[in-house]
Amino acid sequence: MMNMLSVTGLTAGYGRVTVLHGIGIEAGKHGNVGLFGPNGHGKTTLLRAVSGLLKPKAGSIVFDGADITGESARSIVARGLVHVPQGNTLFPDLTIADCMSLGAFSPHARPHEAANKERVAALFPKLAERWRQRVRTLSGGERQMVSIGVALMSHPKLLILDEPTLGLAPKIKDELCKAVLDISKAGVPLIVVEQDVEFLLELTNHLYFINHGQVETEIKPGDSLAHSDIMAMYFGQ
Amino acid sequence: MNALADILFGGLFQGSLYAMMAVGLALVWTTIGVFNFSHGVLMMLGAYFAWQLVDWGLTAALAFPIAVLLMAGVGWVLQATVVRPLIGRANLVLVVVITTLAAGSLIENGVLELWGPRSKQIPPLVAGNAMLGGVGVSLHQIAIIVVTPIILLALWLFLNRTRLGLALRAVAQNEDAARLVGLNVTMLYGLAFAIAASLAALAGIFLGGYRFMTPVMGADPLLKALIVVVFGGISSISGPIFAAYLIGFFEAICSYYFGLYWTPALLFAALILTLMIKPEGIFASRSRGLA
Ligand SMILES: Nc1ncnc2c1ncn2[C@@H]1O[C@H](COP(=O)(O)OP(=O)(O)OP(=O)(O)O)[C@@H](O)[C@H]1O
Ligand SMILES: [Mg+2]
Repeated sequence: MMNMLSVTGLTAGYGRVTVLHGIGIEAGKHGNVGLFGPNGHGKTTLLRAVSGLLKPKAGSIVFDGADITGESARSIVARGLVHVPQGNTLFPDLTIADCMSLGAFSPHARPHEAANKERVAALFPKLAERWRQRVRTLSGGERQMVSIGVALMSHPKLLILDEPTLGLAPKIKDELCKAVLDISKAGVPLIVVEQDVEFLLELTNHLYFINHGQVETEIKPGDSLAHSDIMAMYFGQ
Repeated sequence: MNALADILFGGLFQGSLYAMMAVGLALVWTTIGVFNFSHGVLMMLGAYFAWQLVDWGLTAALAFPIAVLLMAGVGWVLQATVVRPLIGRANLVLVVVITTLAAGSLIENGVLELWGPRSKQIPPLVAGNAMLGGVGVSLHQIAIIVVTPIILLALWLFLNRTRLGLALRAVAQNEDAARLVGLNVTMLYGLAFAIAASLAALAGIFLGGYRFMTPVMGADPLLKALIVVVFGGISSISGPIFAAYLIGFFEAICSYYFGLYWTPALLFAALILTLMIKPEGIFASRSRGLA
């Protein structure tokens, strides 16, 4: 089987500052991919480049057999590569239902709109109760659920989640983890950035440790690794 | 003769005009989140386009839609030049007030240069007069009273009942999130201004059909539109529409009972009082966004 996503030699940054220095990752072959590493070392930047929010300076991104380097976010989402950004505030003045309709804006997602909506409602019963509530009045956890729900409405072939449980209380965090696991079990491969090592290990079996805008260590499925190894990487041996 | 007919007609007519003037301004504010201070100039330019086309020999039925379409293009270009490049700035609202004012003054002087200061008139939507409940009225005014609600309703349905309208309401609230669901951000910004400028052109054509046109004819309507939008509440498109008719009727009643002379003063007194009691506007909820 081919890789669903191959990023090679990607260089990207903001203005004159380069954040990613020729980074490369593969996803979609061995199961879910996890990215981890210290704050501010380019995980979010990598994901933004992959989903077309940020134009890379060099390197290539191939998704589903097509070179998508430099494509607009709009055409990338239409290919089924869907990104839930870190700390997404969504559309504060719209209702949850409005956000879901927007999630299905891409032409490829329209035919699946009704089915995906049911899927979201089943996954997050809490949202289904408050379909007409405005996003600005939601709690952080609920907003994260809407964010993931919107992504599901876009009918993903590959789903990118950037710190889905950031800043959430344990109870709601567990709820979200369960939902994300369900999504993965339903057959959507994931790329996840997550600070919660527990959750990361439960969800993914192919890990990249990202440091200074590069992959410092790749842990392939089957490689033996322990919680403590990862903690050691985080804090520097 | 007939007080009721007089007030009813006057209120509906003024209300329709105010609604047409204000709705484009409200559209840009509720979607993009900026005030377009060249809105009055766009009304003027739309009327001049219509005049020029008629002068070249086109019938009004052809000239008016073409003028409206041309103005959609002008709105698009205006947005691409003096609004879009500034998105993301701190103080965006104030900066755009200045850039649109500047663009407006440029257009105004261009029109003065090109068409001269002499006042002009374009044909009415419908020629002729009629008697209505003992009051003599022009068919142009009746056409405005009939056409305006249809256009406003169509706009409301577009914004609230179609996915493209939803996209238009969403785009400025979070540009990254908009791009990630596949919205064409550049196109939507352009569309908001194109529609607003078309609506302005229509208001200009309404005005030019019963009043003499000059290059500065947009100044007073812009002021009226601002009053309507602020009074109605800047959080939605329906607030200003209701406010426009409310103000229209208020003026009709005042001018009937107290005379034209006192009407502006009474209107402002009512406005100030309203805004003291309900600062967010009479029909508004507190946040931006359409209702
Ligand atoms: N919009 C921006 N403009 C300029 N610099 C930015 C921008 N966004 C991020 N950066 C910088 O790029 C670097 C990498 O940031 P990035 O968000 O990719 O890190 P991260 O690994 O996702 O961190 P975290 O774990 O905190 O989310 C940081 O130094 C950050 O300051
Ligand atoms: Mg990040």
